Amino acid sequence: MRILLSWVEDFVEVRESPQELADALTMAGMAVDAIETEAGETVLEFDITSNRPDAMNHLGMAREVAAIYRRPLRVPRAKVPERGVAAGSRASVQIEDAELCARYVGRVFEDVRVTPSPGWIRKRLELCGVRSINNLADLTNYALLEMGQPTHAFDLDTLAGRSIVVRRAREDETLLTLDGVRRNLGPGHLAICDSERPVALAGVMGGAETEITASTRNVLLEAAWFKPSAIRNASREFKLHTEASHRFERGADWEAAPLASDRIGAMLSEMGQGRALPGRVDCYPREQALGAIRLSRERLALHLGVALEDAEVESILKVLGFAPVNESDGWRVRALSRRLDVSREVDLIEEVARIHGFAKIPSTLPAVGTAPVPTPREQEDRKMRAVVSALGYDETIGFSFISSDESRRFGTGKAVKLRNPLSSLWDVMRDTAVPTMLQAVQWNLRRNHPNVRLAEFGRVYKRSGDAYEEPRTLTLGASGAARPPVWSEGTRQFGFYDLKADVQALLDPFSCGPLRFEAKGLPGYYDSARSAVVIVGHRRIATFGRIDRAIAARRKLRQDVWIAEIGLDRVYRSELREPRHSALPKVPAVSRDLSLLVPDGVEFERIAETARSSPDFERLEALEVYRGKTVPSGWYSLLVRVWWQRLDESLTDELVNAHAKDLRLRLASGLGVKQRT
Amino acid sequence: MSIEKKTGRPISELMGEGDTPEGLYGALRATFDREVSDVAGGRPLGPVRNRWLGRRSGLLAAANENWLKAAPRELKPTVGRLQNALRRHAGKALKAAAKAAKAPKRRSAAVDRTLPGPVRHMGAVHPIRRALEDVLRIFRPLGYTVAEGPEIETFFYNFEALNFPPDHPAVDEMDTLFLRDGMLLRTHTSPCQVRIMEARRPPLRYVVHGKVYRNDTPDATHSPMFHQLEMFAVDEGITFGDLKGTLEHFVRNFFGPSTQARFRPSYFPFTEPSAEVDITCPFCSGHGCRICKQTGFIEVLGCGMIDPEVLRHSGLDPRRYRGFAAGFGLDRFAMLKYGIDDILLMYQGDARFLARFR
Repeated sequence: MRILLSWVEDFVEVRESPQELADALTMAGMAVDAIETEAGETVLEFDITSNRPDAMNHLGMAREVAAIYRRPLRVPRAKVPERGVAAGSRASVQIEDAELCARYVGRVFEDVRVTPSPGWIRKRLELCGVRSINNLADLTNYALLEMGQPTHAFDLDTLAGRSIVVRRAREDETLLTLDGVRRNLGPGHLAICDSERPVALAGVMGGAETEITASTRNVLLEAAWFKPSAIRNASREFKLHTEASHRFERGADWEAAPLASDRIGAMLSEMGQGRALPGRVDCYPREQALGAIRLSRERLALHLGVALEDAEVESILKVLGFAPVNESDGWRVRALSRRLDVSREVDLIEEVARIHGFAKIPSTLPAVGTAPVPTPREQEDRKMRAVVSALGYDETIGFSFISSDESRRFGTGKAVKLRNPLSSLWDVMRDTAVPTMLQAVQWNLRRNHPNVRLAEFGRVYKRSGDAYEEPRTLTLGASGAARPPVWSEGTRQFGFYDLKADVQALLDPFSCGPLRFEAKGLPGYYDSARSAVVIVGHRRIATFGRIDRAIAARRKLRQDVWIAEIGLDRVYRSELREPRHSALPKVPAVSRDLSLLVPDGVEFERIAETARSSPDFERLEALEVYRGKTVPSGWYSLLVRVWWQRLDESLTDELVNAHAKDLRLRLASGLGVKQRT
Repeated sequence: MSIEKKTGRPISELMGEGDTPEGLYGALRATFDREVSDVAGGRPLGPVRNRWLGRRSGLLAAANENWLKAAPRELKPTVGRLQNALRRHAGKALKAAAKAAKAPKRRSAAVDRTLPGPVRHMGAVHPIRRALEDVLRIFRPLGYTVAEGPEIETFFYNFEALNFPPDHPAVDEMDTLFLRDGMLLRTHTSPCQVRIMEARRPPLRYVVHGKVYRNDTPDATHSPMFHQLEMFAVDEGITFGDLKGTLEHFVRNFFGPSTQARFRPSYFPFTEPSAEVDITCPFCSGHGCRICKQTGFIEVLGCGMIDPEVLRHSGLDPRRYRGFAAGFGLDRFAMLKYGIDDILLMYQGDARFLARFR
């Protein structure tokens, strides 16, 4: 909103520099975005909050200035010289829908001369960004900018029956609005009509057929109050945002309607360009009553944390027009039709505080007052994040939207749909974070950044009965080399066992017991030969593996991508392990290497199981797995190192040899494992 | 028959086939010497050592087992002497070979100290997370509890309970993303205020954070999803002065000790009085620069005293309790703190961007 300093000065004295004034207004809640000088005038550009339509005009802004500096406000005089027959005998006004239109004031002017406006009016309008049209249109705009009341001038002789009826439009009625567009109206629209047809879209825009023209002689001036929601809906529906709709949808002042019509009448006759008929045709079916508001001295102090002088409070309330009356414990003020945002005690507290100045209210710190409640799963989350970072995964955050197609491919296919999605690629809430991660990996591959490790802590969204669930997930994405390429290491591509180790490292801090890595239940987008489901008890807590190459190719991923999905809520059902010390062995462990030839169907875990049952078993290391020329087909060679240990005595060679021998025998008899020679 | 095989057989058998103890040990020693000399030629030492001196399966152990232990009584002194001699010889030779194998390296040039090692780096902590941790670090000691709350919200908690008038523009599909059943994606973290006030009695000190959504087309300063953080306190004696003091403490700790905050009256449906907080521009210390548009101030958060209607909707008596609340975009805080000029960088997963936050 552009405000001319000189126009404000019509109503209040300003002694400060424009910058000082702008700062003071900003600190009172009228934010000045810019100060400009144009055609010798100082123009302030304001960003006014939507609860203050009363300040969206020069008089309103002058009232703020008056309040800040406690200076008198000079309200513009509007004494209209009236002559001729009563206005009511030349035009009639009727409101059919009093809920949507609380008041409609008509003033009738005769012997009107439609001319260009005087230069000073044109200049003010243009500086405020309003195009000058003719004296009547300009006066309505002038009054709007000055007092905030939108008005509209009709050519009275074009109104059928010389009457105004404010009603909802009927089915199939149309209106050619001033912008030259014929609009289809219906019962959802409030229309200003004459005795036959709509002549204006109430509060938004007038009609072309009744507009003021060079030949207009008689004018009906409208000043009304419309319900904000009705105006907003119409403005939105027709995509017509006008100065008038802007004011009405934020709430105009029904008391201002007669004043604005008088102001225009006074100016028109002062310029000798029209004659007002006596009286206003004021249709005001139900007078809007506003009650009193009480302000308690004590609650004012409790709210702000400081007790203000009575004189200060009274001075502020007075200058804002609230006419405070002293009561034993505070004040009683009258509510103002121009300030519908002030209806409660707390609203008055805000008024007093902002004019007094927030800066003058002393800063304090409240007592801590209460012990913080630990956030559920905070420790678990912290641990997870630490491990993710230690494993070298960069944390990313992805959008919560995916397409329903992606949900079908990667999720349940029953993802929660948005009613007004941003785009068809984002039409559902993700029920899986996999597509989000694939997209992030892809982003990097496309930028020739082939070695990717990304992790996302996020949520997925699911409907569950009548409610929604937002389970937390951790998604890992990996692609490229297992280690950054460097001279001292061979280059090796990231693979299944890298990812498995990472998943294990993440789950290791939790006391969830032994993990099982199975193939059953793998979603189809995984390559089933290179992927696993992680099971704890009967709970599936994670899934990981290589994205199926055909699917990767369809998404134009030009290298293997590995994904892990970890259901955090499921993992967190297990407590973090509490560290507990037990005595260290007094003597070192002893090992033997076993070079085994294992039948293909026997998984490593079977061998490990057998080893674990060996007496004095300490641990097992898998040193080498080999399939190739020297190994007969149907077999693989496995080199393991088994460690044995007793807490307080050394194991003799003989005993360890016996353990090793016994283990070999049991591997042979139980699993058909042979010795390699 | 190879000498290895011979060590596997009892000496008496071998002698039956014409071998003598001296001959057997001579051959064994010759084989050994040849293999040790190969070490000097570059063959790795370890396997040779294991092959000969391995405690269980080494050739000398085998000779000890099959030749010495199995020798007839009368031959034992001879075989024992031969065995010991060879063992001493092997020990010495291998030691020398080990020394020799090491020696050339010692003479080689020092390491190139400028060559990189196999670097491992910590994964990046996302800037939004980092900013969040920074904020929590400030509020935790003040007794604030951290909560997140659901992202899929009801109309009631997101708007109605927060005193939004029913025709407020935010309530519209223009600004809010709705689900098909009328639920919506929370447009701010404030619904949690109401949820927490309903569930717990004052005194309350809470920080709520998480994703929020707006029907905004993505560009450098707008993202349809972003992160908000909101803190609020409800108690019998909370005042506007407390709000000011708490936020001044916060911005000084977050943006630097010389940061000044100024409170400008503003409007939010759920607070009264409402204020926007500007801080002295952290980039120019308030002197005026491009980022603060020469004003010296940057608007960083919105706050106010919790509107009595909101307390009432949450089942609290506004005549007994008062509270304050403040909220801001974590994305924006992170952008200001780390000099990020495009919000969409936050959500692309670009490793080059993330690497700056390792």
